[in-house]
Amino acid sequence: MAQPQPIAATLSPAPDAALIAAWQQGDEQAAAELVRRHARALARFLSGAGAPEADLDDLVQEALIRAFRAVDRFRGQCQFRTWLLTIGGNVLKDHGRRAARHKIVSLDEGLEGLAARDGDPHERAEAGEAEARLAAGVGVLPRLQREVFLLRAQQGLEYGEIAAALDTTEGAARVHYHHAVRRLKEMLQ
Amino acid sequence: MNEDANLQNAARQLGAAAADRLDVERLAAVVVERLRNEPAPAARPAWLQPAWLRIAATLLVLVGGGLVVRQVVSPTAPHGAHFVTDDLTDLTADQLRDVLNTLDETLNLGSTTLPEADLDDLDAQQLKAVLRSLEG
Repeated sequence: MAQPQPIAATLSPAPDAALIAAWQQGDEQAAAELVRRHARALARFLSGAGAPEADLDDLVQEALIRAFRAVDRFRGQCQFRTWLLTIGGNVLKDHGRRAARHKIVSLDEGLEGLAARDGDPHERAEAGEAEARLAAGVGVLPRLQREVFLLRAQQGLEYGEIAAALDTTEGAARVHYHHAVRRLKEMLQ
Repeated sequence: MNEDANLQNAARQLGAAAADRLDVERLAAVVVERLRNEPAPAARPAWLQPAWLRIAATLLVLVGGGLVVRQVVSPTAPHGAHFVTDDLTDLTADQLRDVLNTLDETLNLGSTTLPEADLDDLDAQQLKAVLRSLEG
């Protein structure tokens, strides 16, 4: 009798919900596929929220482990990725309590050159510096503002999705985003 | 407007380089292995859940605060009963009469007003007895 094929090995990409259900039935490949799908987004989110690069791998791992172990509590109120990112936020908060704060880069220059990722080395260096200043600015925002800003501006999520993930209202999410942008502009001017 | 676009572009790039350096295949293998081998931490009892702890802390603050406020607002006999007559031991009969008259005026006892004439007939011991009886 043929063994059932792991869901991650099927030809068409399975939706997250199917992979979650398969993982709950013990399919480890389903969990591995979810990691492949969402680990980079999670790493970007954590890095943007101030995770030191040296700890990034560990933090991503920890968030994924927590998510898989708590997946029974995921009710589909938002996308799996959004839920995972909020777990990442909690992991980072716990990490921040334990570790000394990493060095904050000064915010004494503007946003010029932020989009210049390609080009000559000087432009790239400027872009990297500007990114570091933005990262530092994001790092000093209150947690909710920081998470809403990253979920919206970095991950491109809709306010409704953000509100569901953070257990708040759409209006409140908009207000947090507005305040975050205003404060970042002030800091970067 | 341009500034907003710059900010959004920058936000999209934020952490991208670090994420690109992540070895996702290795990470997936490590996560699966940890899930397989590491026992899940025991679930906290319901009363140790953060929500219940917050509720308990709030109740503690409310009850404690209430007790403090009660003590401050109505400091009733906090150091044990204090009898006026304890301070009257050294007073003469005339001074005791004055105290009783003052009490009479202060308390405005109406029908139970102490007649001054009666007080004049009492000696010091009797006056102290009256004062004790007034204290209940």
